[in-house]
Amino acid sequence: MAKLELHNISKIYNQNNGVVKTLSNINLKINEGEFVCFVGPSGCGKTTLLNIIAGLEKPDTGEVVLDGRAVSDTGPDRIMVFQEGALFPWLKVIENVEFGLKIAGVPKEKRRERAMHYLDMMQLTKFADSYTYQLSTGMKQRVAIARSLVMDPEVLLMDEPFAALDAQTRDLLLVELQLIWQRTRKTFVFVTHNISESVCLGDRVVVFTHRPATVKNEFKIDYRRPRLIEDTNLNNYSRAILEELKSEVVAALKEEFKESQSDASEHVDGSH
Amino acid sequence: MVETLPTARRLVFYAGIVGVWQAIFMMHVLPETLLPSPLQVIDTLAYNASTGALPFAVGTSLWRLFAGFAIAVAAGFAIGLYMAKYKVVHETVGSVVLGLQSIPSIAWVPVGLIWFGLNDAGILFVVIIGTIFAMAMSTYTGIRNIPPIYIKAARNMGASGVSLLTNVVFPAALPHIVSGMRHGWGFAWRALINAEMLFTFLGLGFLLSVGRDLFNMAQVISVMIVIMAIGLIIDMLLFSKVERAVETKWGLR
Repeated sequence: MAKLELHNISKIYNQNNGVVKTLSNINLKINEGEFVCFVGPSGCGKTTLLNIIAGLEKPDTGEVVLDGRAVSDTGPDRIMVFQEGALFPWLKVIENVEFGLKIAGVPKEKRRERAMHYLDMMQLTKFADSYTYQLSTGMKQRVAIARSLVMDPEVLLMDEPFAALDAQTRDLLLVELQLIWQRTRKTFVFVTHNISESVCLGDRVVVFTHRPATVKNEFKIDYRRPRLIEDTNLNNYSRAILEELKSEVVAALKEEFKESQSDASEHVDGSH
Repeated sequence: MVETLPTARRLVFYAGIVGVWQAIFMMHVLPETLLPSPLQVIDTLAYNASTGALPFAVGTSLWRLFAGFAIAVAAGFAIGLYMAKYKVVHETVGSVVLGLQSIPSIAWVPVGLIWFGLNDAGILFVVIIGTIFAMAMSTYTGIRNIPPIYIKAARNMGASGVSLLTNVVFPAALPHIVSGMRHGWGFAWRALINAEMLFTFLGLGFLLSVGRDLFNMAQVISVMIVIMAIGLIIDMLLFSKVERAVETKWGLR
């Protein structure tokens, strides 16, 4: 039985200039302990799909099934790591990591102990009492990962968590994340628009089409870990995925161009 | 040393002002009844302090200030919260709040007098109504400016309802609310003096108005100095310190 199943998920947004279909009939099965990456052109709806899995948004059709049970609300079994980290600036690092446990009503001693364990794992022990503005972007993201691991979720959802990092920090975290995954054996769903990143991390890479997003193709990445992003043996995978993605990126750019053109003409029309 | 220099400069400047004042007094530009000397003002201050009239007035004004301000902050927070939470409340109540905020607090004095009479309740009414709308607006703005990602992250980790409010919404909006309180207490202080002067029912405003009735300019000036001193002390020792602490902790400075 699959750990996480997506059945027929569709999502439509109402925008000022009509309805936009973001997701269309998405079906996916993700196995227990699998590391799956979602790639697709930016703005294709990968984040929306992640929000739906997390229960932060409701799909218009379809359902999310976790361990054979349909889930529609947020839950501690599906925890997200956001692109910007989304740490709370009024809390110390340790308090940020404890946040979910505090909400769940875990006693103070116990939650501190568990939070320290994951801060240790992320090598941030000596920053426990710092505030988040004192940390670098990479450290913030490691705190965010600790904050989600401490909840002991079934599935970890990651929304382009390394997109804002400099290359060296990101490369380190790519390795660190694989080690954490191997250590915790949790199911990871990782969204990115960066193909090399997806190939470096994923057991499987799912390629999405441009809006409305559908599953275009899937690639199994059968290669030893921990992988380094610069490993040339991964290039063949990257090339195959790029080939698949190229037409979608072009379609996305074309649409963006068309939209900006029509915006411009509306401007001209409106002026007289 | 570097820190004490501005204070020293300031003290010299204040001494200068008093000196100029004393010089004008000694030149007899204005009759003594219109412009008393600094010494006469200090005498009056000391006299009113010794009879207990001044301490009693200060005590009365301060409890009215803090009671009225506390009620206005709590109620203003509730109004602002509902305005931020429900669009319909913002569209309806919000527009009224914005309008009422533009009414100077002194314009509420007749309402307070007629509804409550010459008593503390009437004065508190003016203080509260003069402060509450500014507090509601700053709470509303504070909550509206919370980055949506905080709410999203908190909901993802299981927060909702009251736990979301106390653990995320309130602390996230706190810098805004604190600077709103700093402005709000200024409104409350002005509203209070206004009301006390017109209600002529105890307090510093009353003492000021008695000074006018007795044509005692020394008393008028001495009470004004007390009002200013209290204002400065509360702002510098309380609100600007709290504001600074919050901004530092939130990483805003």
